[in-house]
Amino acid sequence: MDRNQIGKWLKNPGKMANKYSFHVVYFCTGCGIIEVPPSITTRWDAERFGIIPVATPRQANLFLITGYVSTKTLAAIIRTYEQMPEPKYTVAFGSCPINGGMYYDSYNTITSLDKYIPVDGYIAGCMPRPEAIFIGVTHLWKLIDMDKADGYKRYREDYVHYRANQEQILGELDWPPLFSKENL
Amino acid sequence: MNIIALFVSPLIALIAGMFFLGLSRKISARIQWRYGPPIYQPVIDVIRSFSQKSITHGKFFDFGIILSLSSSFVLILFLPIGKLCALTSGGLIAFLYLMLMGPFGIALSGAAAANPNSSIGISRKFLLALAYEVPLLLVLLTVMTHYHTISLVEIVNIQANSGWAFGSWALILPGIAYLLILPAILGMRPFEVVGAAQEISSGPIAEFGGKHLAFYTLQHALHVFVGIALFVDIFLGGWTFFGLLNPLAGTVWAVIFGIIIFLLKMTLVLFIGLFVNAVYPRFRIEQAMQYLWKWPTLISFVGLIIVVLTK
Repeated sequence: MDRNQIGKWLKNPGKMANKYSFHVVYFCTGCGIIEVPPSITTRWDAERFGIIPVATPRQANLFLITGYVSTKTLAAIIRTYEQMPEPKYTVAFGSCPINGGMYYDSYNTITSLDKYIPVDGYIAGCMPRPEAIFIGVTHLWKLIDMDKADGYKRYREDYVHYRANQEQILGELDWPPLFSKENL
Repeated sequence: MNIIALFVSPLIALIAGMFFLGLSRKISARIQWRYGPPIYQPVIDVIRSFSQKSITHGKFFDFGIILSLSSSFVLILFLPIGKLCALTSGGLIAFLYLMLMGPFGIALSGAAAANPNSSIGISRKFLLALAYEVPLLLVLLTVMTHYHTISLVEIVNIQANSGWAFGSWALILPGIAYLLILPAILGMRPFEVVGAAQEISSGPIAEFGGKHLAFYTLQHALHVFVGIALFVDIFLGGWTFFGLLNPLAGTVWAVIFGIIIFLLKMTLVLFIGLFVNAVYPRFRIEQAMQYLWKWPTLISFVGLIIVVLTK
């Protein structure tokens, strides 16, 4: 632990603990997942930064979407995102979730993920190397420090619009809204 | 003295349990040629879990995990940590009763979550408990028969005079049997069937998030502590170390150094478990039951017969 961070720890332990213990739920869409096993195992060892994969979204606080998002997987992504407890962060991996990437004109691929769930940061590239994941994580640390990684707050505030966007592409959703008028 | 032990021993168990969790992650990482997380990483994880909002699935979901954690705390009070023991009555019988309350509480809240993965995990947990309770009962019966007492404090004191149980010829077989079932008690590989992350999404805790997960981690730390501490108390002589503490007898220093020696012995036992954990793959549940009902049961049964015949 850095000694000059003790003040920060005492001031806001929840925020600092969220920074240094990312429990990640990997959403294995497309080719991006192939970069994840080297980054969490011996070669690059993400566990030194407290990053470990977990099996269920309930235990996670970082959502890593690796690769292109087809219309069918978007439903699963939204449900997974809504099951994660707050505070939660989303990082989209590769160029496909940003603007569709090489699938920009596909009839079945989402071109911009940010319209459907809030994304805190993108790691651009096709494919980004595992080092890029670590650089992305350090950027996410900075964003959390500055309270700019507020995707979950945006989702709460603009839930009506996000839900409308989701219904526009998926049709009638078969799960109830996450936030009703009472708990907004 | 008892009043102090009432507060200090759960605290020691909690701190040492979290330390063991961190140590196990670090050691596993070093075995796999990784650098590994800092040793206080489980503490950070618990703080993070507490800071997150948790979703409840009804009253039993909350009640079960609290029952599990509180019964683990009560269990610690029956356990001599060094020379510190809050509740000296009851002994091994009360210990055996309370030892099942932890898994029972987890099962209660896992069942309330109504996740199919949790249900599979719970059924595996109880099957595994059924499997390792048979050799565990035989081992404890042998120890109780050999020392003519059910009190854990008595057992430790007898070992202070007559040498460790693990070194005596009568109790070496039950000691080996306990070492064989220790990974099953701790939920480590090769008996990681309950919390198999890749198979059933970490089993009974699949629906645990936020504060529930934090409580579960604390309970798990206490459970790891209890499983190893019971072995150290019964077979490795608790706080005794070849008469090292005899000059200090009766002082506060004897208690403090007794706890330190006790924790060092526990670390040694944990290392053995970790090396097995790092090397072996996972049994299927029926393979685990077959193994547990065959070899440890056989060894401990032979040990029981030897002790009964020679008494």
